[in-house]
Amino acid sequence: MTTIVNGTTGITFSDSSVQNTAAIGYRNRVINGAQIVDQRVSATTAVTVNSVTKAYATDRFCGTGIGSAGVFTLGQVTTAPSNFINSLKATVTTADSSLAATDLYRVMHLIEGLNCADLGWGTAAAKTVTLSFYVYSNLTGTFGGSLINSATNRSYPFTYTISAANTWERKTITIPGDTSGTWLTTNGIGISINWGLGVGSTYSGTANAWAGAEYYSATGATNVMATLSNTFYLTGVQLEVGTTASSFDFRSFPQELAMCQRYYEKTYNQSVAPGTAADLGAFFTVRIDSVGGGGTAYKVTKRATPTVTFYSPSTGTSGQARNYSTSADTAASAQSIGEGAFYVLAASASNGQGLGVQYVVSIEL
Amino acid sequence: MIYKLIKNLLDGTVSVVQRLSDDACIPYDPANTDYQNFKAQINDETAQLEDADGNLMTPEEAKAYVATLP
Repeated sequence: MTTIVNGTTGITFSDSSVQNTAAIGYRNRVINGAQIVDQRVSATTAVTVNSVTKAYATDRFCGTGIGSAGVFTLGQVTTAPSNFINSLKATVTTADSSLAATDLYRVMHLIEGLNCADLGWGTAAAKTVTLSFYVYSNLTGTFGGSLINSATNRSYPFTYTISAANTWERKTITIPGDTSGTWLTTNGIGISINWGLGVGSTYSGTANAWAGAEYYSATGATNVMATLSNTFYLTGVQLEVGTTASSFDFRSFPQELAMCQRYYEKTYNQSVAPGTAADLGAFFTVRIDSVGGGGTAYKVTKRATPTVTFYSPSTGTSGQARNYSTSADTAASAQSIGEGAFYVLAASASNGQGLGVQYVVSIEL
Repeated sequence: MIYKLIKNLLDGTVSVVQRLSDDACIPYDPANTDYQNFKAQINDETAQLEDADGNLMTPEEAKAYVATLP
């Protein structure tokens, strides 16, 4: 096949991928769509999703559930379609075969408003986008998801069909830009993408239409949570401007990692889970007059002022620094926290004593 | 859930609250979801607040303090 340039459909390349807009630059608005960055090390210990609180697994992807009934886990795995090396796997560990109206189990990805401001959503100039992703499940049938705004009062439910069990399939959903509602163009939530694993009637709406409602899936979608050990895998997630899904926009690992670190970073080595007793990568400082310790800068400036959690490099205990002068942990906290740096407060240490901390900095949407 | 105010030794002010369940240091930034949750939990009395000296504040004192925050 040759490359074809067509005034209507755009450029069709020899690998059958199509580019119908000038997509130079930030084509895929999804960060870590290929699930390659896993700073929380969910590949080793899958994250349990059993509450409405967002539980992050691979970077930028999380799940929410409910406080009772069904439970699922999320973790990075190496099951993946051709040309990918990872996916995000959801596994049902406690089934919920009879969904209540307000039950809501989902996998989600949140796009910062600054990264989708050019879409013009909420205005007459709203651009059409196309969501594409690879999915794999032991189930077949019609599944659902949605796009929703920060205020959760504008949503677009969609459906897709999984035709064959335990087989990777690429799905494409084209969504007309929303000309109504409020869509943040700030450092808050711009667009929330949801894949429903089990969504009750209250949060399910008519597919393929914008609604002034809080919908996370489409009416009639399959309940993945219905049976113990059901699985749902996701990778190659892409949201781009236009009416056609182009080939997945692979970014280099360091580029993808840096993009993730705008929301979450750690001093630990990439393969080491936060809370582990490990010296490698720890920040070392010396207690100085009246302050308690030195300052440190993040690897990447954060989207807003982040939450900081310390761990002792020697014991992995949270809220502790290691005082290497006394060979004991000492209480420590972060102070003067900004979008780019903070300093270590270890009030009980003495001047001149050596301190070390591992830390996690988090400012997820 | 219990939170504790942490005093900044540089200037004596409090601009961070520590969530004692996991020792996370949460800055006073309305764009921080942990901070949003802290304020909401104090206001609906599902969390308690200790002052910088470790003394537990009454729900009324905690809510009055939170009302002064951004």
